[in-house]
Amino acid sequence: MNETVAEGLFYLTAAAYVAASVLFLRFLVRGKGDVGLLGPRLVGAGAALHAAHIVVASLVLRVCPVEGIHFPMSVASMSMAVAYVLARKRLKIEVAGAFIAPLALTSLLASRFVGGGAEPSARVKSAILPFHVTTNLFGVALFTLAFSAATLYLIQEHLLKKKQIDGVFRRLPPLDVLDRAEHRFLLAGFPLLTIGIVTGTLWARHVELGAPSEVLRSIFGYVTWLVIAAVLFMRAAVGWRGRRAAYGTIAGFGFAVAVLMLYLLRSPSPPVTAQLHQAGPTSSSSSSSGHGRAPEILP
Amino acid sequence: MTLPVVVIGLSHKTAPVEVRERFASSSELLPEILARLTAREEIDEVMFLSTCNRVEVIGLPKSGTSHEAAAQLASTAIREALRDHIGARNIDELRAYLYERTGEDAVRHVFRVAASLDSMVLGEPQILGQVKDAFDAAVASGALRSHLARCVSRAFTVAKRVRTETQLGAGTVSISSVAVDLAKRIFGDLGDRTVLLVGAGEMAEAAAKSLGQQAKAIRICNRSFERAASLAAHFNATAAPIEQLESELVQSDVVVASTSSKSFVITRDLVKRVMKQRKGRTLFFIDIAVPRNVDPAIHEHIDNAYVYDVDDLQSEVAENMRSRKAEVAAAEKIVEAELGSWNQWARGLNVNPTIVALRAKTRGVLVAELERSLGSRLKHLGEADRAALAQMIESATNKLLHSPTTRLKQAAGASDGNDLVRAAQHLFDLPAAPAAQALPRAEPPAPGAPVPAPRESEERLPH
Repeated sequence: MNETVAEGLFYLTAAAYVAASVLFLRFLVRGKGDVGLLGPRLVGAGAALHAAHIVVASLVLRVCPVEGIHFPMSVASMSMAVAYVLARKRLKIEVAGAFIAPLALTSLLASRFVGGGAEPSARVKSAILPFHVTTNLFGVALFTLAFSAATLYLIQEHLLKKKQIDGVFRRLPPLDVLDRAEHRFLLAGFPLLTIGIVTGTLWARHVELGAPSEVLRSIFGYVTWLVIAAVLFMRAAVGWRGRRAAYGTIAGFGFAVAVLMLYLLRSPSPPVTAQLHQAGPTSSSSSSSGHGRAPEILP
Repeated sequence: MTLPVVVIGLSHKTAPVEVRERFASSSELLPEILARLTAREEIDEVMFLSTCNRVEVIGLPKSGTSHEAAAQLASTAIREALRDHIGARNIDELRAYLYERTGEDAVRHVFRVAASLDSMVLGEPQILGQVKDAFDAAVASGALRSHLARCVSRAFTVAKRVRTETQLGAGTVSISSVAVDLAKRIFGDLGDRTVLLVGAGEMAEAAAKSLGQQAKAIRICNRSFERAASLAAHFNATAAPIEQLESELVQSDVVVASTSSKSFVITRDLVKRVMKQRKGRTLFFIDIAVPRNVDPAIHEHIDNAYVYDVDDLQSEVAENMRSRKAEVAAAEKIVEAELGSWNQWARGLNVNPTIVALRAKTRGVLVAELERSLGSRLKHLGEADRAALAQMIESATNKLLHSPTTRLKQAAGASDGNDLVRAAQHLFDLPAAPAAQALPRAEPPAPGAPVPAPRESEERLPH
């Protein structure tokens, strides 16, 4: 029964994100419709359904969504949608939903195919693990928003430099609004990333990690932190704004995604939603014992 | 046939700003240009109009064998004067940018320009003021005296009718207000932004009006500090001398440039220095001056700095204009109605010399016969009788010529009016007088003075 509910919530979430994406893209491309109210509300509804799906699915699988990384992409994209809904009015980036809704949808669908639901093994279990995962996922969610704002900024900036100020230019948020939003999301995400890096470093000392992919992931994690720190520092110190800041943000986000991908793609366990079909009273124990390799940390 | 008015010019519709600015002229240079034009023997009256969106010479040819030939000669003379004005060897290279209207088309064009129907921002009010300034300058220099002055004056009436009888000028849309709208598209809200107006002329004033209370602060930087201070006092802004331009740019976010400078006031090197001090904060220049005030290379080569000139505002304007399209048809109707009245009056100018000649000849014959009789058979008549006879001849002349005069005037408005005029000239052996030859010269009115009243040989403007 619960599996059916989780599946139903999954499809409802996908439907809400699809509807929001269509609405936003229709507005952007053809200038039709008013996304002012309905678009963000659909993303909000999608985020609520998404959260419900994660809760129900984690109950079915008897795993904590943030202990380990059972729902990494799902939790990150849901957090991103929530952050967008909360920040859109204050930062005046309603139309950024045109980027957020398809991203959330893609992440949701991808969670069916990548990422694993294996329980952390005793070797890697630690009190700081949920804290580490949570901060990293929320950080990634905020960086995704920063990345969206940076990409939209580059589009707007390109149109403005090319003097093509009708059509899409009119529908996207103003240039400076996007620059400011990108900076705010980076500022909000950076402390979370820092905590994630610190807790990851502490945790890595606790657990001996030696596989090349683990080392590479750690290196990418530190590079992500350095790039984001550099973008913020250069903005404050020498006025790196606009295009340079946008490129820096996109680069930082790229490294963060690489870290996530390195983890997800190496996971031998089946995706969370795939496991829902097999879930039963012993699913938790079977998943933890059924996969020889425990999930690792997001550095 | 109407007056052979000739209009040669270029506008935002035919030439980009980099071409228009070569032709543009400040008010200080107008007398020199007008003197160059009036020195041409092919041109009788002339006016030079230079705005940010158009440069036009409106001329009336001197007499010629025909209107067409006179207009052709005047056209060549105007083109040569324009060539000298821009210092070009050959005007042909700019032929593609120039438009030419003659006769009725030219008058219609003048009416449409004054009524802001040919403006980039339909219905914007500044154009009428600019046409009036050009008119005053031409009258002051003696370049406008009679018929062309009347034509332009008539255009003011058309513009007034369009403004009062249609909604074309409703709202506050102008180049400046459109520029402010574009600034909002870049910054979102201007409530925490500082706007710098470089220049303190009409356009700057319009920009200040458009900004109203929207900006956090308005600063005005002008070569004449007194003028800047005066405008600043009016709009609760802060004035600064032009020497402080660099520091003003550092603290501003939107810059509206509208000085009459012939060269760039804001250069690439200046903005490079400014952007360093601004730590890369976005700086948006709206250059509504022609010639341009802001080096366009800034837009290409400096990050976070954007330069838009009047031509770049066209798509923004188009968006604003959609709601006004419905009013254009109503305004065009007014223009056509006024043009019809004007044509009737102008055609009357062709008939008047014939009517005057007919009256003079009739009266002359009768008076000569009377005087001959008074010198012989009617010698005995006293003063009272002689006066009565003179009165009788005057009355007979009027009665005799009433029908021919009326018919000729009616025919003046018709396409075959010239046939009747020629017939009258032939039947009564009157001198053939082409309209262009018949155009009388008048003494120039004082600057700003109303256009002189019609002469005896002219008909009153129909209303």
